[in-house]
Amino acid sequence: MIATNIRRLGLYLMLAFAVVSGSIAWWQVVEAQSLSTRTDNPEVIAARRSLPRGTIFDADGQVLASSEVIDGLSRRTYADPAFTHVIGYSSLRFGSTGLERAFEDILVGQTDPNPIRDLIGDVLARKPQPRDLTLTIDRRLQDFAAEQLGADVGAVVALDPQTGAVLALVSTPTFDATLISGDPEGAQEPMDALRNDPAEPLLARARQGLYVPGSIMKVFTAAAALDAGVITPETTFESQPREELEGFVVDGFTIREHDLGGIQPSLWPLSEALQVSSNVFFAHVGLELGAEAFLEYARRFGFCEPIRIGASDRALSVDPSFVTGSVDGDCGPFGDDVELASASFGQARTAATPFQMALVAAAIAGDGVMPAPYVVRDVRAHAEGDEPSDEILDSFGSAGGTRVVSAEAAAATRAAMVDAVNGELGRLYAGQGDITLYGISNARSAGKTGTAQLGGEQAPHSWFIGFAPAQDDATPQIAVAVLVERGGSGSAGAAPIAGRVMAEWLRISAGDDSG
Amino acid sequence: MRIAWRGAEFRLLLPILLLVPFGFLVTNIALAGTFETGDLTLALGYVALFVGAHLLLVAFGHRGDQLILPAVGAMGGVGMIMLNRLPQDLAGTSAFGLELGMAATQLLWFGVGIIAMLAIAVGLRDDGILRHYKYSWAAIGIALLAATLLIGYEVNGARLWIDLGPVSVQPGELLKIVLVIFIAGYLAETRTLLTSASVRIGFISIPPLPYFLPMLVLFGAVMLIVVRLNDLGTALLFFGIFLTMLFVATGRRSYVLIGLVLFVAGFYVAYQLFGHVQARVDVWLDPFADPLGAGFQPVRALYALGRGGIFGEGLGQGLVTLGGNLTIPFVHTDFIFTAVAEELGLLGAFALLGFAMVLVFRGLRIAALARDDFGALLAVGLTASLGLQTLIIIGGNTKLIPLTGITLPFVSYGGSSVLASFIMIGLLLAVSHRSGTADRASGS
Repeated sequence: MIATNIRRLGLYLMLAFAVVSGSIAWWQVVEAQSLSTRTDNPEVIAARRSLPRGTIFDADGQVLASSEVIDGLSRRTYADPAFTHVIGYSSLRFGSTGLERAFEDILVGQTDPNPIRDLIGDVLARKPQPRDLTLTIDRRLQDFAAEQLGADVGAVVALDPQTGAVLALVSTPTFDATLISGDPEGAQEPMDALRNDPAEPLLARARQGLYVPGSIMKVFTAAAALDAGVITPETTFESQPREELEGFVVDGFTIREHDLGGIQPSLWPLSEALQVSSNVFFAHVGLELGAEAFLEYARRFGFCEPIRIGASDRALSVDPSFVTGSVDGDCGPFGDDVELASASFGQARTAATPFQMALVAAAIAGDGVMPAPYVVRDVRAHAEGDEPSDEILDSFGSAGGTRVVSAEAAAATRAAMVDAVNGELGRLYAGQGDITLYGISNARSAGKTGTAQLGGEQAPHSWFIGFAPAQDDATPQIAVAVLVERGGSGSAGAAPIAGRVMAEWLRISAGDDSG
Repeated sequence: MRIAWRGAEFRLLLPILLLVPFGFLVTNIALAGTFETGDLTLALGYVALFVGAHLLLVAFGHRGDQLILPAVGAMGGVGMIMLNRLPQDLAGTSAFGLELGMAATQLLWFGVGIIAMLAIAVGLRDDGILRHYKYSWAAIGIALLAATLLIGYEVNGARLWIDLGPVSVQPGELLKIVLVIFIAGYLAETRTLLTSASVRIGFISIPPLPYFLPMLVLFGAVMLIVVRLNDLGTALLFFGIFLTMLFVATGRRSYVLIGLVLFVAGFYVAYQLFGHVQARVDVWLDPFADPLGAGFQPVRALYALGRGGIFGEGLGQGLVTLGGNLTIPFVHTDFIFTAVAEELGLLGAFALLGFAMVLVFRGLRIAALARDDFGALLAVGLTASLGLQTLIIIGGNTKLIPLTGITLPFVSYGGSSVLASFIMIGLLLAVSHRSGTADRASGS
C-alpha cells in the first residue's frame, strides 16, 4: 500500500515541479521584455551610466541633446534650455524625466523599435545600439516663444490642429539640464539650488501647472452648448442687459459682471458676448447646458484625466485638468448651480493646464475634431555627427483625432473667436492677439483672452488661446495657449505673445515651403 | 566485501564532471575578457571528490542507486560554477590558519559532506540504531533547537546560528534529518493503527487522536520554536515533510487536507500577530510598491530573471555587481537559483530543476523498493525534504510563494546545508543498498 501512496506522491510532486517551471518561464519569457524596460531596473541604470545615448534632434535636424562617453561614464549635453521641460534630463544621480524617461529604452538601445528585430537582438544578445529621436518641434519657434515670455513665469503651447504635432512647448523659468546630467558628484549642488528656488524651475508649467482658466473657458462653454443645441449663434437672454449692471442672482448668490469699461450693455448674442467676455451671458449658457452635459463635454475635450502626448506606452504625460473639485484625480460632481454658472466662465473650481487649453483651441480650429497630440516624429539610427541619419526606424504621425463637437458648432465658435480678436468690441480686449499687428497681412487670427481672478490683491493670471489663419477659407496651421502667471489682464500679458508666436510660425512655415 | 562495478554511475558522472572545469573555463574567459584558462584548481578538486566517492562506493561493493550521485554532482557542479563566479569575499573562512574564499570554502564542505555520505552509505548496514532509538533522536533534535534558542545568534532577523569557535553551524539543518528519522520510526510502528481506527464524520476522516498525540506534541513544540526563531521557510519545510510522510504512511488525503487547513489557519494567525510576517506577505503581493526598500531584493531578483531570458546572458556575463554592490543581496544563498537563471537562462534553470527532479524521483523509487516500512518512510521523508526545499526556495525566487530564507540543496553556499544534504544522500544510499536495488537500477 505504501508503494501506491508513493506513486501518488510522485504525481503530486511532478505537478508541483510543473507549476514552479511555469513560474520561471513567466518571468524569463512572458515578462522579460517589460521588466527590462522599467526605469528602476539596475540594468537600465547601468546602461544609462555607461552606454552612449541617442541624440535628440529638433524638426529641422538641429541637435538638442547629445552624449559622449568619458572615462566609462555617459555624459549628456543639452543645447537649449528652452527644451528642458520637453526633453527632461537624464542624470546619473537623479534618474530621468520627460522624453528622456519615456524613450529611455530606445535611446540607450535596449529595445529595437521593430519588434521582430528586437526579438532577434535578444536571441543574439547583441550589444545595445543607441537610437536617435526627432521632435515635431522646430527650435526656431520654441526659442521665439521662450524669448517672448522672457523673464515672465508662464507657458506657451502651440499645436498643429490638423495633425496634433506639438509645435512649441515652453515653460518658464527653465534651467540648463546639462548641469545635473554630468558628473554625479557635481550634480547635487545645482539640483539643490533648483529644488530650493521659489520660482520652481523644475515644474513643467505647460504640462504640470494647474491654473484657473478664467474667460478662455467660454470657448469651451460656447462650443458645448452649440453642439448640444441649447443655444444658436443668435440666442440671447432677455434679462442679460439688466443683469450686466445689477448682477445675475443664481440660488440667492449674485454673479457680477467684470468691469466692462465704457461699453453699454445691450442684448448680446454669442459673438458680442464673447467679444466683451460677458460673464452673465455665459453663466446663462452654462445653466441651459446643465451640470451633467457640462461634465460630459468636459470629458470629451480631455478634462478630468491625464493627457498623453504620444503613443500611450511612450508618452509625455500632462496632468489632469478639472472643471469641478477633483475626487481621486477625477472630476467630482458640481456642488450647485452657482458653481456650474461660475465654471461656465472659468471660475469656481476650474483648474486647467496650458496644454489642455491649447487642445480646446485646436479642437475648434480642427472643425470640431480634437487631434491626438504627439511630440516625437521619428526614431532613427544613431548619427555619429551633428547630421541626423537618413535611416528612419519608426515614425509617428497623426494618430487621428476625436470628434468633440459638430463641425457646425465648431464653425460658429470659430466665427465668434475671429470677432473676439478683430471685431469692433473684441479688439478692445483681444486685439493684441491680432497677427496683422506682427507683420502678417494676408491672414486673420482667432482667439480669446482670459483673466483669472485669484482674489485678494494678487495680480490675475493672464491667458490667451487662439489659432491662425482663421479667415473663412483658411485651414488653421497653429493653435496656441499662452499663460503668464500674475501677468495682469489677458489683453496685456498673454495676447501679444500669442499673436507674435502665431505670426512667427506662419512666417517660418511659409519660408520652409518657398525654400 | 566484494567490488561492485557501478557502470551507470560512472558513465553519467563522467560528462557531468567534465562540464564543471569547462564551466570554470568559460567563466574565467568571460570575466577576464581574454582567452586565459584561469585557475581551475577548484574545479579539478570537485571532480576529484566525486570520482573518489564513486571509486570508494565501488571498492566497498555498494549496491545502492546509481543515479543519485550523478544528480547531486550535477546540482553541486552548477552551484560551484556560480559560487566561483560571484565575488569571493561574500563568504569564506579563515579557520585553522587557512584563508579561503567562498568557492574554496564550499568545496571544503563538499569534502566533509562526501566523507559523511560515504560513512553513512557504507557504514550503516543496520538501521536498528535509527529505528529503535527514535525518541533519543527526538530528544537530540529538541536539544539542538533549545541550544539555538539559548546560545544562538541572529543573522538577518532569524536566530539560526550557533558559534562553535572556528565554524558556525545551523542546527536547524541537522534537526531536519533527526525529525525525519523520528517521524519515520513512529509512523512505521503506528501506521496500521492510524489508518484503521479513524472516525468518519461525513466525508472527512478524523484521525484517532491518542495515536497521534505524541507525534503532534513533539511536532507542535518544534513548530513553536521554529516560529519563535523567526524562520518561516524551515517551518513551512518541516510541515511539508510531516504531511508528506503522513500521507504516504496512511494514504489519507483528508489528513493532508486537515493539515493544510491548520497550516493556513496558523499562518493567518501569525499574519495578524507578527509584523514581520505581515511585512513579508505584503512584499510578496507587490514587491514593486517599494522597489528600493522592502521590495529591493525580490524586485532585483525578478529583473535578473528577466535579463536572463530564454538563453541566458552567458556564464560570467550576468549583472552580478553594480558599482561595487551586489545587484541582489544574498545572491549566494537565497538567490543562487536566480543567478543561475540569469546567466544560463530558462534552459539552464530547467536543467537545474531537471537534476532536482531526477534526485526526487530516484528517492521515491528507493522508497518504493525499500525492504520495510521504516526504510520506505525514511526515504520518503528524506526525498520530500530535498524536493520540497528545492520547490520552496525556487518558488520564492519567482514570487510564486512568499520568499523564505532557506537554501537550494547542493547549490546554495553554506556548510551546514551541504553537510546535511550529503547526510541525507548517505541515508538514501544506505536504504537503497539494503534493498539491493542496484541490480535493477542499472538495467532501467
